[in-house]
Amino acid sequence: MVLEIVVMIKQVPDSQEVVIDPVTFTLNRSAARNVINPADENAIEAALRIKDKVGAHITVITMGPPFAESALIDCMSRGVDDAVLVSDRAFAGADTYPTGLTLAACIKKLGKYDIIFAGEESTDSSTGHVGPGVAEFLGTDQASYTSESWYDNGFVYAKRELEDGTEVVKMKPPTLITVLTNANDPRRATLRMKIDATKKGIKTMTLADLGMPPEWVGLKGSPTVVKSMKAIDEKKREGKKFKLEEIPKLVDELIEKKIISI
Amino acid sequence: MVGLINAVPPENLEDFKNVFVFIELRNGELSRPGLEMIGAGLNIARKANEKLVGIIIGDNLEKLADEAGSYGCDIVLGAEGKDLKEFRTMPYSHIIGEFINEFKPNILLIPATRNGRDLASRVAVKSKAGVTADCTELDIDLNGRILLAKRPTYGESTLAEILCRRHRPQMATARPGIFKIPEKEEGRTFQKDIRKMQIPEEMMGKEIIEFIPKKSLDLTAAKIVVSGGLGLSKPQGFAVLESLANEIGGVVGASRPTVDLGWIERDHQVGQTGQSVRPDLYIAAGISGKIQHIMGMKLSKNIISINTDPNAEINQYSDYIINDDLYKAVPALTEEIRRRKEAKK
Repeated sequence: MVLEIVVMIKQVPDSQEVVIDPVTFTLNRSAARNVINPADENAIEAALRIKDKVGAHITVITMGPPFAESALIDCMSRGVDDAVLVSDRAFAGADTYPTGLTLAACIKKLGKYDIIFAGEESTDSSTGHVGPGVAEFLGTDQASYTSESWYDNGFVYAKRELEDGTEVVKMKPPTLITVLTNANDPRRATLRMKIDATKKGIKTMTLADLGMPPEWVGLKGSPTVVKSMKAIDEKKREGKKFKLEEIPKLVDELIEKKIISI
Repeated sequence: MVGLINAVPPENLEDFKNVFVFIELRNGELSRPGLEMIGAGLNIARKANEKLVGIIIGDNLEKLADEAGSYGCDIVLGAEGKDLKEFRTMPYSHIIGEFINEFKPNILLIPATRNGRDLASRVAVKSKAGVTADCTELDIDLNGRILLAKRPTYGESTLAEILCRRHRPQMATARPGIFKIPEKEEGRTFQKDIRKMQIPEEMMGKEIIEFIPKKSLDLTAAKIVVSGGLGLSKPQGFAVLESLANEIGGVVGASRPTVDLGWIERDHQVGQTGQSVRPDLYIAAGISGKIQHIMGMKLSKNIISINTDPNAEINQYSDYIINDDLYKAVPALTEEIRRRKEAKK
């Protein structure tokens, strides 16, 4: 029986193109292109490596607006077999609970799953909650913050990178794995595969397909609310200039202000 | 497992009381991030006139529970068992879920360490709670006992205040290194409730087959960070920074391009995809100041930029600027500090 792998991805504004507004110190994201969240690219690559080794059928899914299709096509051009866009106006404004619920409902609809991959967190909201949340909704085990994972003889193995060391874990499928940013070197799409992927196209699921009431998802289904957003008060930096020969003066000031101690 | 169900809020919010904190253990000891949760929780509990309840999970908890009590917990709630010695998501989240069902906490704080986040994500779904990740400020609005959870977002540029009005417990994970560990007070009175737990085999989940400890570099604990960028122009440049770091009592950091080029190990990387630091002094040598780097260091208390380019982006974020060749400025700074130390002897 072929191994069924699901990869959950998200589109985020490209942080390389995001600029800090010099007045408000907030990020100006409007100019930024949308890209696959960096850690999710590593999750795709982790899934493809298992497919390379032992064979697998990979489905990539995302919850997002219709233009997220381009990200899914990109994944298929790298070797992912199928793609599903979960899209509905009702999903807008979801915090991590309904996002996890929506993705879990989609995965259930897909049928059998052995391994679910996700990136460790997204660069735009950085919670890392959605992956493990999906595992709880589905009742699977999980291994978060992994640098490597493999499948051998009916078991899923992963290396979890913790603050004080590396933990190697062995799990029975189905299980969920979140992958660290930079865990691997993601392969690029080839033109040939891009043509095939575009031809094949993606599937779409709406709220109706998932069979959930609208108040379960999106903003209405979210336990948390954002009360306010404030630019973090930036300390005004003086930018005092020192020439090479003035370094002793600089050291005087650092000591005087107790920034360093001798 | 919660199943595919929405986050139904509880009917009576008044039933939910007290501030609970998860005190994460590491190597069989109360961890620093865990003790910081006692600090964060105490502020809120005292203000709201509620009890602070510390949760510990592991093996041989008696002494650790006493220690947690001496740091300020009013009640220490423990789950003890041979199988619970190491953190594992399935049993740990199950136990906390059961505690939530039994004690109905108003607030639950968990350290935003890797295992803490792994756990919190899952507990939040299990108990249909709202959770705010990686908070740097926590307070309580006494009107309705609402947790005011603040977290930096959009690359540390904005502080978002997030509330959870109708769901309980109100959960947050709190960033390590931000909240103060309270003073220890031996002989404080507190209650202890340690329960022996036998977790059924099928609920244990993953098996940990190996643990490889690492002497990882925790840049966030350093008071001084001396970082290098592409301006070093060669990997050997880091040796020059290391001399300064050794002399000044700091650690060496790096910008992402130098790490990508293999000039230095990844655990030295400061920035969005590396570590976020806020030391007393950050020295940026040959770093132009791309936004990804700025995000990881701009909260440093003092910043020195050493760069040949007078218009380097990083200069806008710097308190002190040396507009010169780093291969002259860094050794001069090292030498000056060495001289001062000699003179003091």
